[in-house]
Amino acid sequence: MPATLNLRLTWCALFCSAALLLVPGYIQAQCSSTPGLSKLYQTGWGIDFKGQRFALDTTINGGNAADLKLKWAYGFGTKTPRVFPLVSEDTIFIGDANVGLVALDRDSGCTRWVNEAVTDPSTAISHGVIDGRTVLVIAGRQSGVFAVDAISGATIWQRHVNDDNPVPVFSGSPLVFEEQVFVPLSSMEIGLSANPFYGCCTTSGAVASLDLRTGQTNWYRRTIPDQPKVTGRHYLFVEEYGPSGAPVWGAPTLDVERRLLYFGTGQNYSHPTTATSDAIFAVDIDSGEPRWIAQFTENDAFNMACAAGGVNCPDPMGPDVDFGAPPILVTLPDGRDAVLAGQKSGDIWAINPDDGTTIWHTRIGRGGALGGIHWGMAVDQENATLFVPISDLPALPGKDEAEPGMFALDIATGKNRWSSPRVQRCEGRQCWSGLSAGITVADGVIVAGALDGLLEIYDSVSGALIWSYDTQVEFDTVNGVAAKGGAIDAHGPVLAGNLLIAVSGYGSFGQKPGNALLVFELPEEASP
Amino acid sequence: MSAALQSSHMGRRLVATAIDFVLVPLVSFLVMLVSGVMESADAYAGNQIWLRGIGLGVAGYLLINGWLLHRRGQTVGKMVMGIMIVDATSGDKASLWRLILIRALFFPLLYLPLLFSFVGFWALLPLLDQAFILRSDRRCLHDLAAGTAVVTRVAPLPA
Repeated sequence: MPATLNLRLTWCALFCSAALLLVPGYIQAQCSSTPGLSKLYQTGWGIDFKGQRFALDTTINGGNAADLKLKWAYGFGTKTPRVFPLVSEDTIFIGDANVGLVALDRDSGCTRWVNEAVTDPSTAISHGVIDGRTVLVIAGRQSGVFAVDAISGATIWQRHVNDDNPVPVFSGSPLVFEEQVFVPLSSMEIGLSANPFYGCCTTSGAVASLDLRTGQTNWYRRTIPDQPKVTGRHYLFVEEYGPSGAPVWGAPTLDVERRLLYFGTGQNYSHPTTATSDAIFAVDIDSGEPRWIAQFTENDAFNMACAAGGVNCPDPMGPDVDFGAPPILVTLPDGRDAVLAGQKSGDIWAINPDDGTTIWHTRIGRGGALGGIHWGMAVDQENATLFVPISDLPALPGKDEAEPGMFALDIATGKNRWSSPRVQRCEGRQCWSGLSAGITVADGVIVAGALDGLLEIYDSVSGALIWSYDTQVEFDTVNGVAAKGGAIDAHGPVLAGNLLIAVSGYGSFGQKPGNALLVFELPEEASP
Repeated sequence: MSAALQSSHMGRRLVATAIDFVLVPLVSFLVMLVSGVMESADAYAGNQIWLRGIGLGVAGYLLINGWLLHRRGQTVGKMVMGIMIVDATSGDKASLWRLILIRALFFPLLYLPLLFSFVGFWALLPLLDQAFILRSDRRCLHDLAAGTAVVTRVAPLPA
């Protein structure tokens, strides 16, 4: 080939490559497809097994949080992302509905691998080890539980966990311990009940223990022991059933010392109500047998037919005050342990982990069907403080005054240490200013995302606002998908290393949709 | 086609279709109510709900039209409008298997995809089917597939 032709071809190849890189959608950062796994920052939804949501391994603190800067953004394939990341030393694993479980390079956001089988991810990611291989466990909202090889992204097994319920819903995050995967189970019946020709309702909430190696069921604990019976009939032919409900849609919390699993339940879907709805369960992790069950609201029967004015709405209708926020295991200043549980009613209970009796109780705000306390609280064990985000969204609201905002309580007594009410700033915006999403705490800081789209950091000692970032804007993204923030709800933000990671957008229950994954970084000069 | 038959008027066919369009879902709905096939959680597991929905549609169609189709080549709508389905070649009453297995099946195959998308290629199929009525013999695509024609009987049925 003549030298001049060679030269021309080389120039042409260079020019074409450069042109391709300039076309939106073709911009792809290059990164290794193999994630580093020597350090994983969370065990699952609760960051630690106790569910305290305290980020130990972060350099972000009260002194430097104000210096956080947006590092990169990623556009999700859904306008209602309900996911929570798992962070390693160089990778962020996170579910992206309609795309899959993705592994993103922590530095650039470029995609290392995608597991497309996880089409509807809806939980945090827990992890375990099989024969030296790190396994990620995540659930799809209706597709079930997936065990995925963390290095390659390949599916190891998938289980629908329909042992007892043909229509399970996976809202609560699974938790891996030893070789067990604990899976909380809710039910599609909460929504199916809105169909007047549906025979409401027959399913029970549950927690299942699966074998980490195979996905097979070790034990399956229904929250309602009794089988449903026909209780009535409407439209001549449609049979009504009960008891039902008591779903588990929050992540479980693990007490390694007592080998107990704590989890909360929701309301009954139909009458008769049971002694296991709106309750905290403590079950033996090896057998699934309940050690104790403590119910805090009786006779709460509610389903979506009540919101739609449908014939399946239970009569009398209950207030729908679930325990969605996972319980938190703490050690009180006097050395006793306690389980702290927050309810959608705004009630907070400190419970003796040995017998389920109440140590103290307090209440904040007016509560409602969407909180009160909705997705999760957090604890600073060293300072004996419980942090409580309050939503008080006006959905089946209680009678008292709404008090949306952040509250700090003494874990020994439940007494208020400080409160930081949130000002309504939703004029002209589709939002409510409450705090519904789960929160994360670290040394001197609380990170919270609000339904009005503001991502905030509070001083955990005084409650003062240190940093605020409005996420309800458009973002340029590393994956070329147009992204806009919205309400911040569900699993909430997290701190890991020098990063703050938040998901913005939540189209459910009238909140503002959005699809932004935002990664903020503490600049090197601000790091301790 | 015999002299006792002539191609049906487009308007009559439209009204007959509209009548069937109301009656078949109504009967399907009653079947659903009485049988309870969509009443339990099992019905909503996997993709069963679609299969059960299609089954109910078929059941409703056969319940209200099966006997009439077998005896007279008519649905209720066509009976009301005085039109009937015949074998396009002989002009005789079309055989039941053609009416059920080809002609009636044509509709869910053609129209059900509309439930998933009102745009793109699938949306054109029903239009294409109906556009064939503009032919001089008024035979739609489903008639051509089943070898049938919809006609007005101008003389009484032979004894």
